[in-house]
Amino acid sequence: MTITWNDSVPIYRQLRERVVAMILDGALNEGDPLPSVRQVAADFQINPLTVSKAYQELVDDQLVEKKRGLGMFVTDGARNALMKSERERFLREEWPTLFARLQRLGLDLQTLLREASSEKHA
Amino acid sequence: MNTVVTAQSLSKRYKNTVALDNASFQIEAGRIVGLIGPNGAGKTTALKAILGLTDFQGELSVLGLDPRKQRDQLMEQVCFIADVAVLPRWLRVREAVDFVANVHPRFDRAKCEAFLARTKLQPEQRVKQMSKGMIVQLHLALVMAIDARLLVLDEPTLGLDILYRKQFYHSLLEDYFDENKTIIVTTHQVEEVEHILTDLMFIRDGKIVLDADMEAIGERFVEVMVGAERAAEARALKPLDERQVFGKSIFLFDGVSRSTLDALGEVRRPSVSDLFVATMKGTYA
Repeated sequence: MTITWNDSVPIYRQLRERVVAMILDGALNEGDPLPSVRQVAADFQINPLTVSKAYQELVDDQLVEKKRGLGMFVTDGARNALMKSERERFLREEWPTLFARLQRLGLDLQTLLREASSEKHA
Repeated sequence: MNTVVTAQSLSKRYKNTVALDNASFQIEAGRIVGLIGPNGAGKTTALKAILGLTDFQGELSVLGLDPRKQRDQLMEQVCFIADVAVLPRWLRVREAVDFVANVHPRFDRAKCEAFLARTKLQPEQRVKQMSKGMIVQLHLALVMAIDARLLVLDEPTLGLDILYRKQFYHSLLEDYFDENKTIIVTTHQVEEVEHILTDLMFIRDGKIVLDADMEAIGERFVEVMVGAERAAEARALKPLDERQVFGKSIFLFDGVSRSTLDALGEVRRPSVSDLFVATMKGTYA
């Protein structure tokens, strides 16, 4: 598989984000195994240390646990914990930039909400 | 950590040219090191020295052995795929496997055969009937079945199509590499290996001009896109390189703090090829 990595963020972070997104989307459920470091390294053609680093961050955040001899698994409660931390992170990191951009484009709340509801009905 | 290669003031001179000029470096176990340089920079000479295939001045220790004096012992622990991957044209796949099984004490025949089974290579097929990509597959099957501590790859994917190239690195990462093994690879296809590497070495005119792990490189080198109004400010910070795109300037900095650069414009991590081009400027001039 070929993925284009974003140049402004280290790859291990992007990999971590992918796993996080998979947990949030329900593509990975609590108790599911993560693919092995070797497999991910080979599939994405990235170095195993990068993969280990991404996995280690997930372990540090208690989203993933290592079971000796079996590999990595999504922990119970990972999804809820993620919802909370991802909301906080969005507000802290993404929202200020997004808000600045909305202001620059002169988009107000009404317009955005109207657009969102017409999308839904379309 | 375990040091696999230690080179101290390595020098090698051919009649009229200096191939290695006081090169010193260290390679640790469990790393994948890219040795990158323009044609004639000394890459192959450095690899040959490590493999005990050429004489040189200076100190060199590979897996604790002197490649000049202890080459036999060294060869049990080291594997090599050369850019000119030569196998005799009359040789059959079966014979190649038999040969390596007979000469190499650390060769695992079952592993080799399992790998070959995943290719289209047939036991009775001769090298002369194979495409370039198939020859590399055979070579890789032989080499990956050897439990060596150091694997040296000199332009392993040269002249191969994209499918074979991807498969080559895929196999290496999936079936071969682990934290006890070390790989040194030279290539001109930098984009292809840049995320695989743990360490990067640039060599130019026989000198090591950059030697750092990829993480350090991500911290040291930053590219910033700066508008015309702040270009002078950026230039004052002594960039390594400057190029123009869409009326903006892209500056490459080494060791300037990210916060300083964030203020100037959009910041990104340069690719290895960007770094290479900036570092090697003027090589052929």
